[in-house]
Amino acid sequence: MSTFHLPDLGEGLQEAEIVSWHVGVGDHVVADQPLVSVETEKAVVEIPAPQSGRIAKLFAEPGDIVATGAPLVEFEAAPTADQGTVVGAIPEAESKPGPRPKAARETRGVKAAPAVRALAGKLGVDLSVVAASGPGNTITTADVERAAATIEDAGPPEPLRGVRRAMAQNMERAHAEVVPATVTEVADIHDWPPGSDITLRLIRAIAMACKAEPALNAWYLGRDAGRRLHDKVHLGIAMDTEDGLFVPVLRDIASRGEADLRRGLGRMKADVQARSVPLEELRGQTITLSNFGMFGGRHAALVVMPPQVAIIGAGRSREAVVARNGKPTVRRVLPLSLTFDHRPVMGGEASRFLAAVVADLEKAS
Amino acid sequence: MSEITLVEAVRLALARAMSEDDGVLVLGEDVGPDGGVFRATEGLLERFGAERVIDTPLSESLFAGLAVGLGAQGFRPVVEFQFMGFIYPAIDQVLNHAGRLRNRTRGRLTCPMVIRAPYGGGIHAPEHHSESTEALFAHIPGIRVVIPSSPARAYGLLLAAIRDPDPVIFLEPKRVYRAVKETVADDGQAAPLDACFLLREGHDLTLVSWGAMIKETLAAADALAESGIEAAVIDVATLKPLDMTTILRSVEASGRCVIVHEAALAGGVGAEIAARLADEGLTSLLAPVRRVAGYDTVMPLPRLEAHYLPDSERILAAARETLEFA
Amino acid sequence: MSKVASFEINYTRFLDPQGQAVGDLPSFAQDPAALIELYRAMVLTRAFDAKAVALQRTGRLGTFASSLGQEAVAAGVGAAMAADDVLLPSFREQGAQFRRGVTMTELLLYWGGDERGSDFAGPRQDFPICVPVGTQAPHAAGVALALQLRGEARAAVCVIGDGATSRGDVYEAMNFAGVRRLPLVFVVNNNGWAISVPRAQQSAAETLAQKAVAAGFPGRQVDGNDVIAVRAVLDEALARARAGEGPTLIEALTYRLSDHTTADDATRYRDDTEVSARWKEEPVARLRTYLVEIGAWGKDDEEGLLADCDREVEAAADAYLATAPMPPSAMFDHLYAELPRELEAQREALSQSSDEGDISG
Repeated sequence: MSTFHLPDLGEGLQEAEIVSWHVGVGDHVVADQPLVSVETEKAVVEIPAPQSGRIAKLFAEPGDIVATGAPLVEFEAAPTADQGTVVGAIPEAESKPGPRPKAARETRGVKAAPAVRALAGKLGVDLSVVAASGPGNTITTADVERAAATIEDAGPPEPLRGVRRAMAQNMERAHAEVVPATVTEVADIHDWPPGSDITLRLIRAIAMACKAEPALNAWYLGRDAGRRLHDKVHLGIAMDTEDGLFVPVLRDIASRGEADLRRGLGRMKADVQARSVPLEELRGQTITLSNFGMFGGRHAALVVMPPQVAIIGAGRSREAVVARNGKPTVRRVLPLSLTFDHRPVMGGEASRFLAAVVADLEKAS
Repeated sequence: MSEITLVEAVRLALARAMSEDDGVLVLGEDVGPDGGVFRATEGLLERFGAERVIDTPLSESLFAGLAVGLGAQGFRPVVEFQFMGFIYPAIDQVLNHAGRLRNRTRGRLTCPMVIRAPYGGGIHAPEHHSESTEALFAHIPGIRVVIPSSPARAYGLLLAAIRDPDPVIFLEPKRVYRAVKETVADDGQAAPLDACFLLREGHDLTLVSWGAMIKETLAAADALAESGIEAAVIDVATLKPLDMTTILRSVEASGRCVIVHEAALAGGVGAEIAARLADEGLTSLLAPVRRVAGYDTVMPLPRLEAHYLPDSERILAAARETLEFA
Repeated sequence: MSKVASFEINYTRFLDPQGQAVGDLPSFAQDPAALIELYRAMVLTRAFDAKAVALQRTGRLGTFASSLGQEAVAAGVGAAMAADDVLLPSFREQGAQFRRGVTMTELLLYWGGDERGSDFAGPRQDFPICVPVGTQAPHAAGVALALQLRGEARAAVCVIGDGATSRGDVYEAMNFAGVRRLPLVFVVNNNGWAISVPRAQQSAAETLAQKAVAAGFPGRQVDGNDVIAVRAVLDEALARARAGEGPTLIEALTYRLSDHTTADDATRYRDDTEVSARWKEEPVARLRTYLVEIGAWGKDDEEGLLADCDREVEAAADAYLATAPMPPSAMFDHLYAELPRELEAQREALSQSSDEGDISG
């Protein structure tokens, strides 16, 4: 058996219509004898037999459109190998997928000439941390060399592991997603009884504020999915350790008494120190408190961890000269920062929330 | 040895080639008693006779094709086109025949021919006389495009072009025809084809140019040297095939490249050089590759042509911009 | 007012369409063997053309230009030319090329898309087929100038079509040939059609032959379907050329019985009635009739010749089909006398990407 395929009869023709067959199945034909008339876009042409032999099958009927390269006639005997497509082979589109593009390099936003990039690669300098001094804020060879010298002085970098590595990943994600805005305030806590626990007072104030402004005790699930306002307040409490940041959760703070909360806090600190916080205790925060003041600092632009929409930060309490009844007075104050995700939260909601926190904190007890 | 101009060097090379090889013929309009409109063939008729110095009818397509026939028969015709502006009827012959005869006959028939044409602006010539369209030819496979920039290189390169067994388009910067004098020894020494000429060493910046722009480029390099910047200056000379090895070697050292040509910017030979630098020299680049070129406008008539043609000021400005990338 | 120039164009015919001699035949035609040789050349060309079309229709050859109906022009040119003359053909002169030693296999390779088809083993100085219409006319002038400069008694023959006579560079070449009295014969193979544009739309001149008058040399018309006439006027023109008397233009009036090429369908622009009428004037039957009438040809001769031609054509087709393509990097082999260093990387890349090592072993 050999099959004769419809050749390209013109110059780049894709198909032809069968006009009429000059032979039938069972006929014996000799080479170059007319087989079939076909009509192409350019002409009606007669196709001769490419070989001698008996016709076993005709693949199309008059009126059929046959694609170039499709079978036309089958011969019973094949005295010579089929050479029907020796000339003008029909290329077929390959659907093989191309290589996937590699992930964008971290230094893509950095402006540096190729030679500078090559130098940075050679010296192991991360261009994203190099200060640019060239035209149009480009990094120059000198900038890279300076950075390389600094790195050399500092010794080899220490790889991030475990909790610190997870923190880096979470922070990158938060930075990529959230549109943060920060408001700050100072609460006058001068009238608190001696020995008051700042953390417990903050927890109580946040619970009050969530009641006053529920928009901050929420999850933002995306532009299409929307937000979810929570009835209960599950407060994440940021805790620094040498290994990295932990944010265990203190559940349902609004309905728990002071003693219960105190016990919960104590257990939480112990667990964190022992690195034995159960996984479920690290999930489900609806809002977060960072009491960074215990280490220092006043105000901060904090990082909101999605899907939460707000984080409250408390700075170090201190004595400050404040105007009180028209006179300068020295009072103990607590600086407060509220960072919120401005996508689902309005500035007014954030300000009202912060005002509610302050109002509760400024109560004597 | 004496100091001669570029057009005299062309004449010297023609005479030399004709005296060395009886197969060398000179053809074109007014090449006979008139000695060519720029006098490049002056005296050749008297010396070599009317059989070898042939005034043709005014038919540009003919004499390009004539050269194909003569070349296939073993002659070495050198055809003069009066101005590059009148060369375009010959593109058919160059593209369809001269550049492919060797290939399409598998070496059986060849075209050892030279097409000479004065080109470029700066001499206040009438309309159609001042364009620089070397890129049209540099795009054609199977030929060479050669542009001398000084009397010595005109002599050496033209001898090489005539002796070359393949077609050469030899474009003469007419602005330089009589502008520079140089000592040229009529020693029959050809200059190398397919090779750039490093006219000036320098490791801070590479200036690449050809033809009449070499003068402006060298002036810019001088000005840079006054402020302590050493610019290499490369005369490309053979635009097709392009000697990228020399250009890449220089840019590897300098990291900066400014290409200067008086032809229009878009699709010029400078674009090919810049593309090759991006392809093969990317990691050497400290600064963007800049091109200082004619604008993508119609070549203006003489009153405005000075504004069109790149000068050393424009080259300097581009050079200084690339130098800001330290 | 006084007359400053006048001209006349002569027409030559020895055999009429019915194969009858009109007047005395030229001396070469007195010898039946010479006529049989011309006849054989035309029959062989027709067999070759038919095979080439069949190969194209079955996907084994690229676009092809048949010379059906025009065999006498090529046969006459081929017979009149001396071996050391130089032929610059258009693309329908296969009959002349075969006579000059170009092989059928070479021309099949050419139309089959292989450059080796133009590396003629036979006539080494002949030009290859020229597809850009009329652009070979200036080459012919160059070749003729070369022959003249060397003082050789040789001539160049440039064959163009009726359409080519409208082109500027054809006139430029004729003009120069006239100025230099070059040993050059222009043959205008006037088959009536430039693809779909008929002769009447090509030029308002009564004859194409008279275009030579403007270039200062004789133009003649000949019955292009009368191979005796074609050969005779070519003989005269070539003799003139070799004697230093300058160029001649010969307009051979013939008819393209085939499509322009296999990529063309002439029924789109041409009446079948016109074509069938022209079949009555075709050159092969005309000469056969004459040969039979003078008793120089019979049924057995005809059958033997057809079988011979068929065998020759089939052998050439087999040789063509059995010729393996060149390795891809061959496209660099004859680009320049020596491949510039700059292009070595491209050739290397092509060899790598096409696994050439495996092909060439």
